[in-house]
Amino acid sequence: MAEEVITQPNYERLCSNILNSDKHIRFAGFVNDKSQILHSAQQKDLDSLLTDNEIGMSIHYTLERWRKAQNFTFRLGKERLTFTEYDNVTLVTIPFKGKLLLVSTEPRIHYDPIIEKVNSILTNWEK
Amino acid sequence: MENGTITYTQLLREDLGIFRVTPDGEFPDFKAGQFLTLGLPLDSKIVNRAYSISSSPENKKFFEFVIRWVRKPLPGRLTSLLFNAKEGDKISWAKPTGSLTINDTLPNGEKDTRRIVCIGGGTGLAPFVSFAQHLHDTNDKREIVILHGASYVDELSYKQLLTDLENESIDKGKDKWNFKYRAAISRPQEWTNRAWHGYKGRIEQFLRTSDNGKSALEELVGEKITKDNTIFYVCGWQGTIDGVMDYLKAKNFVTEKNKREDGSYEVKFESYG
Repeated sequence: MAEEVITQPNYERLCSNILNSDKHIRFAGFVNDKSQILHSAQQKDLDSLLTDNEIGMSIHYTLERWRKAQNFTFRLGKERLTFTEYDNVTLVTIPFKGKLLLVSTEPRIHYDPIIEKVNSILTNWEK
Repeated sequence: MENGTITYTQLLREDLGIFRVTPDGEFPDFKAGQFLTLGLPLDSKIVNRAYSISSSPENKKFFEFVIRWVRKPLPGRLTSLLFNAKEGDKISWAKPTGSLTINDTLPNGEKDTRRIVCIGGGTGLAPFVSFAQHLHDTNDKREIVILHGASYVDELSYKQLLTDLENESIDKGKDKWNFKYRAAISRPQEWTNRAWHGYKGRIEQFLRTSDNGKSALEELVGEKITKDNTIFYVCGWQGTIDGVMDYLKAKNFVTEKNKREDGSYEVKFESYG
């Protein structure tokens, strides 16, 4: 009988692949449901728009919203994607294996190609 | 079922609230730690559910409850109705029952003078709020320790009441009122909990022996915890009960459900999951 091999995603490699998949992506990071950042990466030469404390607050708000959205899972199914477009940045969240992928991009761009690339990377995470 | 009225509602969070129910008729006797079955109409039927009472038996004005609105995987039917209810709405209730009550005597008939340690996870604190107020109002001289575990600081329902009871103990002296309250936050790294400087971790870790050979509980009470000097009452998710028993079994504590031949035991618990 073959042994089952359980593979954990390599979050560092995933962040790197996502960040390099499109020049409009500023940041990619994975957080767990305890607000811990598993790994993150951001484009070089870009100043962060938030302070460290504000980043913690932003992750908290994102997870709170995600938890509350799950209260409708029994009727609407699982959440797949959210967008929040600010004047200066767009935030994208994608649930992935019980964790949350956070992506920020330049604002007011065509998002579909970016989402397709990110989803392709996530779908093929074992390769 | 008897008739009553919802006379007070207070949301602590979107999914955590304090509710009071005032019976329309005679107020029944009950014991601290018991629960009450509440009922509300839904689709021409009455939906019932039991909730632990957090008010004391000496309070004959209302029953109080602290209730969590759990919505995953499915929202609870009665709890959803309660969180939509208004003060003044009618509600039905059945007589109080439950066995998580305070032992006043030992199996041999002697007075039980052991220290009382209550460990509540989340809304599992409710029966112990009733304990604390009852023991206070009846001038009980036993040492009482209440440990409350929560994920977030805004889930520390009754923090003010229990802190006031501890401050009263400090002011009056232990010989008159001997009460301690501590809380633990299990997700200290989360932003909501950034200003928390109390105990961090799961509440049962108060029982874990540290490098100095003492547990945090033993540091708090100032002596070794033994089955002769302490009785534990535990309420919460089954995981909390199991976590507590992992520590206490190693000290030869036994539960009421597995009491010794002579009827003795040192742990009473109630789980809600």
